[in-house]
Amino acid sequence: MKDSCSSVSMILEKYFDREVTEAERSLVESHVRDCSTCRDTLASMEELRTLMKTPVEEAVRKEDFPWVWEKIERGVRLQERRTRWPSLRSWLDVTPLLRKKVWIPAAATFVVLLFITAQIIFKQTPSSKGASVVEYLESPAYNVMVYQLEEPEVTVIWMFEGPEEEHTST
Amino acid sequence: MDVRRPGRRAYINMKKTVFLLTAFFFYFFLSISTASAQVQVRIRVILASNEGQSIDPSLSDVHKELGSLFNFTSYRLLRDEPMKLVPNRTVTVQGRRPGRFMEVTLVGLHRDNAQIKIRVIREGVDILNTQIRLSPGRTVLIGGPRYGEGVVIFAVSSHF
Repeated sequence: MKDSCSSVSMILEKYFDREVTEAERSLVESHVRDCSTCRDTLASMEELRTLMKTPVEEAVRKEDFPWVWEKIERGVRLQERRTRWPSLRSWLDVTPLLRKKVWIPAAATFVVLLFITAQIIFKQTPSSKGASVVEYLESPAYNVMVYQLEEPEVTVIWMFEGPEEEHTST
Repeated sequence: MDVRRPGRRAYINMKKTVFLLTAFFFYFFLSISTASAQVQVRIRVILASNEGQSIDPSLSDVHKELGSLFNFTSYRLLRDEPMKLVPNRTVTVQGRRPGRFMEVTLVGLHRDNAQIKIRVIREGVDILNTQIRLSPGRTVLIGGPRYGEGVVIFAVSSHF
């Protein structure tokens, strides 16, 4: 019992801190059931913990540490400002772009893109050979004639006035 | 073998170049696209009559067409209206007499022609409502309404 007590007392603190293995835990628990000394030691440990824990918890509950958060926020803001500014400065700095190593590929890329775009855009430029077409036509007041000449290429929409309108329109 | 990996600075420079290049390219592309989505139309209002023998010098480009089509001896330019048409926006050309005007609307733009809707209105009534496909450099002549001793001819031409 004595041997067991001395071996258990060595791991009693670990048991109290829940750092023991499963085997050690069952060993301590079976021993504590029979050994009042170890049980008392365990009880005093519990008591000590309660004594220490209660005022600390109460103090923490009362205090919400606003200054701590202020300090943290200020620190974060400062950090952000520090990281943003050099990055912004590096973006505004155009000197690296003037390096041959940079502007030659950049110019080459631009020329290629321009060439591709020009193909798309200027493809829309039509040939001047297209004809003009009258898609629809309506005229409630006139008789309308549409004719197209081949040479010169011209489309004419001509409105013929009726005899009664000829007098009123002038 | 000495293999040099690009540093952070080079990476930032590369990113910056790509960004600026892309931004510039898109700006360029957008400005050209916007410009190409409009049509330059010229509407000339011509008074054709048999009074006199004069032909307005500014009608020299359509003189041949007018001469081969009509028997008038005089062509006088009453109004010259160059305009930029953008899709679905109507432009009005006021006539010489009150209550007479012309509405021109670009309704479609294709590779080799522009679809243009034309309304000729007299005292609130449509005297002509038409839609034409106009090829660049070509002229459509709309004529017939009497004006004084002659007739009015609208010469509609486009460039895009």
